[in-house]
Amino acid sequence: MRIRALAFLLILSSSLFAQVTEQQLLQPPGKDWLTYNGSYNSQRNSELDQIKPSNIHSLVAQWAFHVNSGAPMQSVPIAVNGVLYFTQPNALYAIDGRSGRLIWDHHHPLVKVKDREGPQRGAAVYKDRVYYLTTDDYLIALNATTGSVVYEVKIAETTEGYSAPPAPFIAKGKVIVGVAPGDRGLNGWLEAYDADTGKKLWHWDAIPKPGEPGNETWAGDSWKHAGAATWMSGSYDPELNLYYLGLGNPSPDFNGDVRMGDNLYSECMVAIDLDTGKLKWYFQFTPHDMMDWDGSEVPVLVDAVYEGKMRKLLVQADRNGFYYVLDREMGKFLHGVPFVTQLNWASGLTAEGRPIRVPGIEPSLTGTKVCPSSIGAANWMSPAYNRDTNLFYVVALEGCGLATKNTETFRPGGFQYRAGGDVLLHNADWKVYVRALDLITGKLVWEQERVGNMGLGGGLLSTKTGLIFSGELNGQFVALDAKSGKTLWHFNTGEGINAQPMTYMVDGKQYVAIATNTTVFSFALLDHEKGAAK
Amino acid sequence: MRMRFTYSAFLVVGAFSYALAQSVVPKNPFGHGPEVVAEGHAIFNQTCTTCHGMDGSEGERAPALVGERRFFRLSENALYDTIKHGIPGTGMPALNLPDESIWKIVVFIRAMRSSASEVDVPGDVAHGKQVFSGKGGCVKCHMINGEGGTIGPDLSNIGAQITLKRMKEALTVDGPIPTGYQPVKVVTLKGTTIEGVAKNQDNFSIQLLDNQNHLHLLDRAELKSVEESKISLMPHNYDKVLSREEYNDLLAMLAKQATVNLHKKVEGDGEVGR
Repeated sequence: MRIRALAFLLILSSSLFAQVTEQQLLQPPGKDWLTYNGSYNSQRNSELDQIKPSNIHSLVAQWAFHVNSGAPMQSVPIAVNGVLYFTQPNALYAIDGRSGRLIWDHHHPLVKVKDREGPQRGAAVYKDRVYYLTTDDYLIALNATTGSVVYEVKIAETTEGYSAPPAPFIAKGKVIVGVAPGDRGLNGWLEAYDADTGKKLWHWDAIPKPGEPGNETWAGDSWKHAGAATWMSGSYDPELNLYYLGLGNPSPDFNGDVRMGDNLYSECMVAIDLDTGKLKWYFQFTPHDMMDWDGSEVPVLVDAVYEGKMRKLLVQADRNGFYYVLDREMGKFLHGVPFVTQLNWASGLTAEGRPIRVPGIEPSLTGTKVCPSSIGAANWMSPAYNRDTNLFYVVALEGCGLATKNTETFRPGGFQYRAGGDVLLHNADWKVYVRALDLITGKLVWEQERVGNMGLGGGLLSTKTGLIFSGELNGQFVALDAKSGKTLWHFNTGEGINAQPMTYMVDGKQYVAIATNTTVFSFALLDHEKGAAK
Repeated sequence: MRMRFTYSAFLVVGAFSYALAQSVVPKNPFGHGPEVVAEGHAIFNQTCTTCHGMDGSEGERAPALVGERRFFRLSENALYDTIKHGIPGTGMPALNLPDESIWKIVVFIRAMRSSASEVDVPGDVAHGKQVFSGKGGCVKCHMINGEGGTIGPDLSNIGAQITLKRMKEALTVDGPIPTGYQPVKVVTLKGTTIEGVAKNQDNFSIQLLDNQNHLHLLDRAELKSVEESKISLMPHNYDKVLSREEYNDLLAMLAKQATVNLHKKVEGDGEVGR
């Protein structure tokens, strides 16, 4: 009896449809959109070519899928063979990408009020499963066709104050997960789990312990409540086998007096060996930050000619206001320039990429004007890169804050540990832009102001046909000419956008989708010519 | 804030009433065993069915005691007091029954409403597992803890989701096909036939999960025909094809399938809805 049952199970498992292979995950985004940023290099540049500047005037809404209640969505839908998977905190929906009709949904029940704090930024797919993280720190693996739970793994504790906002990142059968927030004096870390079994493979601490290199950059015991949250889903170079992630701010956010030193690895770009979880290199954007400038902005990986030589580059527009070009093999700083004009805290970068601080421009007991504000010149909204234009596209915020510090101390149990803050100076100069920067020089090529927007809003999507899709906080979903920044198309979704757009193809028809606070919208051409699926 | 205030106020009032009444709080002397449930069932059917219907399920002059209702008297004592003293101002009278009988009715009503996992279901769980993956053939269509078929509902938490009565019905009575499991056979304009269940459908599209676990996202304009079967893929004769022992063991095993305790509360925290 038992043998028969086992044999039956084997037959069943072998007949399951392996949806997403390792090979597919290595491709640029085409028919499917398989990761948070579409591909391992996070360029967010789709190969689909049906929607283009010459026909975008006939782009129309195809459907809307409304999610009842819950926190505003920050999720990027994942598309696999026409099925979209997207999350809301503690819920995952599988919908038909053609019609917007629900196929299944999964709701993760919560027990305590504290369990529901924090955002959720999306799902990940591998083989026949879909994965997501919950605000009460579970990694959940679901059967992609039915939503059945395959496993649930507890990765952290809400009683301590941890939540788990990122979309999981999957490469080589490993699910990489991270936690937040460092605004509560909790130390960040990264973990890898075996996608098939849910077994933990490695753990990397973002704050070095005594005796480990980097611990000397924290005065006294300050390393114990030090921050460096792992807010986001990172980027990956399969050749170097390195996983890149920008880390969060040091704790407390605004008072650096209690943590003298550079505070490694807060606000560092780190390169982690995917197999071992060991640190290969780091580059710190803002040593000893006092403005909550998480270095968590998306690292974009580009292979390009730099000073006459083909190099593996990593570029990032950081919350501190500088655009960085790094060599991603060894982490060497190559170039950096401001991408906002309102920047008063540093006069430039040294040859090693270290900011040259302007004395006194930091939070004080009585308040100091610091530019950018604590919101930052950029934030977690995804940028994009188009290799044809060779431009890097980013959502940039021009604005300053009146920053103060105080002597708040750490309290265990997940309480805020910021020791200050800033009043955002919402004056006439406070503006939001989509900016196109030359990849290598960082020079501004064009900009489009997001008129009427006080916050950063959603991120960007590039297509090889020369379009940039952009979701604004005021609800406008717009398409820009990638070469000139001219607005070519717009649609008022009627609701704030805080997520990144994506594109996919089903049955020869290209769609562009974006989540607003409560609704996923999908658009396609009114009379599309059937194109070949890429 | 408001909820928290209400909750605290409730606690204060509750504590006060408890202090006043603690010397006379009646207690169920029988426990919740199956024999008590059976005795309670018998008394219920002699006493309560005129208004509440047979088995408390089809009230004509009074509410059904099972099913979706906004206000349930949930605790044993709430039920006991209601039966003993009635509900003033309504048709529910005070029943002149011995306390023993009232308690047995209480135990029966609670058992009738409880999820299967909360009820004592006699049987050999280990053997039930064998029936599930062997003779019963359940594993072909149903998944438990990540293993099994996908065409039917996942049963990992089924013991916590439905009552024992509903569970028995699912195994033995041909009822309506639940949404998401409608067997359907479509033929596309190109002549391809696809069979499976409709996870969802409307006038324009069908989301079909076929028998090989592939999803098909179908536009009705591209379909030649859509045929819905009136017969559920779920067999309803398990009480006949299985021996009595096998059937009971399968029930006991399914009743134990509970992964999530939705009602768990931690002191000091409000309850969070979905």
